[in-house]
Amino acid sequence: MTISTAPVSEPVAADTPPAPARRPPRPGRAREWWLGAALVLPALVLAVLFKLVPLVRGVVTSTESSSGFGGSEFAGADNYTRMFDDPMVLTSFRNALLVVATLPVWIVLPLVLALLIHQRSPGWKFFRAVYFVPYTIAPIVVGIMFRQILAPDGPLNALLRSVGLQPLAIEWLNGRYSALFSLVAVALWSFFGLGVMTYLAGLATIPEETLEAAYLDGAGFFRRLWSVVVPMLRPTVAYWSVLCASGVLIWLFPLIYALTQGGPGDATMLPEYLVFLTTFQFLDRGYGSAIGIALFVFVAVLSIFSVRHMFTEGTRKPR
Amino acid sequence: MFRRRLAGALAAGMAAAALLTGCGGGDAADGPVTLKVLTWEPGGTEYWKQVKTSFEAGHPDIKLEMQSVPFDKYPEVQGPYITSQSGPDVMANNAGLELFDRRGAYVPLGDKAAEITKDLVTYSGACEGFDTAKPCYGVPFSYQGNVLYYNKAVLTAAGLDPEQPPATWDEFGAACEAVKKAGKTCLALGLSGTFPAYWDFPEIARNYLTEDDVRALLAGKLSWKDPKLVAVLEKLAEITTKGWANKNAPSITMLPDGADIFQRGDAAFAGTIISDAVNWDAFGKALGDDKLGVTRWPAVDPAAPLAQKFSGIEGAVYGVTQWSQKKAAGLEFITWLAGKENGELWVKHAKGQPLNKNVDKALLPSSPAFQKIQELVAQPTLHAGVMLSGPEADALARGWQQVTLGQLTVDKWAEAMQQALERSPTKKQTK
Repeated sequence: MTISTAPVSEPVAADTPPAPARRPPRPGRAREWWLGAALVLPALVLAVLFKLVPLVRGVVTSTESSSGFGGSEFAGADNYTRMFDDPMVLTSFRNALLVVATLPVWIVLPLVLALLIHQRSPGWKFFRAVYFVPYTIAPIVVGIMFRQILAPDGPLNALLRSVGLQPLAIEWLNGRYSALFSLVAVALWSFFGLGVMTYLAGLATIPEETLEAAYLDGAGFFRRLWSVVVPMLRPTVAYWSVLCASGVLIWLFPLIYALTQGGPGDATMLPEYLVFLTTFQFLDRGYGSAIGIALFVFVAVLSIFSVRHMFTEGTRKPR
Repeated sequence: MFRRRLAGALAAGMAAAALLTGCGGGDAADGPVTLKVLTWEPGGTEYWKQVKTSFEAGHPDIKLEMQSVPFDKYPEVQGPYITSQSGPDVMANNAGLELFDRRGAYVPLGDKAAEITKDLVTYSGACEGFDTAKPCYGVPFSYQGNVLYYNKAVLTAAGLDPEQPPATWDEFGAACEAVKKAGKTCLALGLSGTFPAYWDFPEIARNYLTEDDVRALLAGKLSWKDPKLVAVLEKLAEITTKGWANKNAPSITMLPDGADIFQRGDAAFAGTIISDAVNWDAFGKALGDDKLGVTRWPAVDPAAPLAQKFSGIEGAVYGVTQWSQKKAAGLEFITWLAGKENGELWVKHAKGQPLNKNVDKALLPSSPAFQKIQELVAQPTLHAGVMLSGPEADALARGWQQVTLGQLTVDKWAEAMQQALERSPTKKQTK
């Protein structure tokens, strides 16, 4: 037996957990972070350059008073207060609200058509192609086409008269409301194909068996639409809703440009056309920018709920 | 020859000055200079092809690159160029306030204006306040205004004498009733866009305003609530509210939609311009030269000092842009535009009213309608339409559309016009 004189080490308490060993940083993680940043950076730079900078510049210009294309001076909130006294601005936003009121049609119609195509209704291949064709035609060309179609003696009225619907053969672009809703209808014709495609992409993610099971359980078309498709397609519907809410006013611009120029009177005057008119025809850049910022706020308020909903959907953890 | 030498000397002088000040950038150092020209092609594509060919043949050191934009879309295309201070070297604008609104985009011609334009029949619409003593910004080569074209066959069918078209407002009203009874539209009219109202307004205004009033309108010193201007609006309103025009006028354009109604033989009258768009020629081809008549718009008050005059204005004015790096070449081009060679091209290929007085008279068209227009333009006065700012012209057009549709009274229209005047950037400056 040997006796050691070395100090005895203190016994380790049994209930004290061992201190976690510090892992050395993995070089792979840093590389991942830098790669991620590098991938995001171009988009970030583009967003700042082409979204944020123009927006800030627009805000700055909206606080300036300019005369023609000459210099400008600081005008504070004058351009904003002026809007409240300008009947054309108020009318343009009232018209915008009327257009926004048609959003349910923009959202539901493509959904119904997409579902008809998805469940392979007769002629579905033909319609799948045909529905998308109007979207491929330049909006300005659509405008020029519909100038002829909607003319008092144009093909639409000729068709209505030939099928005995004479009272419906009105002067489409000549009335306060008929002109605005004619424009909306033309825009819908032009863009619904995009909605159909968007919904078809969403529908492709719904398992066939689910729809088949609902069908076998006796659910009719609208029951399947409401109880199966819509809940499962919520993210797609939300996406299309945001796109419509923020885009419908912009989509109408080329049609106003080609068809009505905001008339007759102020019947089809929408804020974005008024921005264009004020800035480039009346040469009032400051006031045009102020109307543009008001339009930005208007669209942001419209879209905020859908965007929030989409964000919530997108960040929800799978159960 | 002298003009060419003068233009050459001016161009050389400007090029040297630009070089000395370090802003001559792209001017003809190596090879031909390419000038970008923004135009709505007044006179048509064929005329502008000839302009390019003839000018380049005489100026091998300069090439022209035309950017052609439809007339009714022109301001919207031009505006962004001006806002961004970039784009074409030479641009067009209508003479008058449209040009003044954009004067910051053009190089003032200074003393050269008098030399360049000395052979023109008239020249003031490119100068501030229609005053050649003030800065001038460009050069015209055509003469413009509005007349009333009429279809003799429609008048005859309505029991009217085609050789005695209505000369007064009351006679016009009576003629319209007769034409309507015969199942035709009296006045083919399109009110969509700014220009129809802008062109028709002076035809009525001439009955109520003096030349001083028209200058006050330009300066923004004549209120739209002034009884004279309210009376003008009332008469404009009568044209549509009395049913003299086609019902869809508020939603169609005058060119081409309104003109199409007339060309089809469905209307007795069409009020539209004499030059740039060569309506007398197009109407003559459609209806037959012998069936086409031309007259002055009917006088509301035949005794008014300007009632029997012609509201005329130089046509498109071409100026050199402030941001151009090829100012000397641009000046050479616009100098050529005002000259005899281009004047004769204008007559031959565009069949337009020439402004250069040295144009060979033998080249002028022999059409009776064109000859009648020569009689009418012989007694010119100021054109009230070109005195309107952008917001005023827009409010005039929209107001007329709304009055026609029964959505606005004339008093409210006058109020809207006054509000438009008060928010006109350019007129704010001149007040």
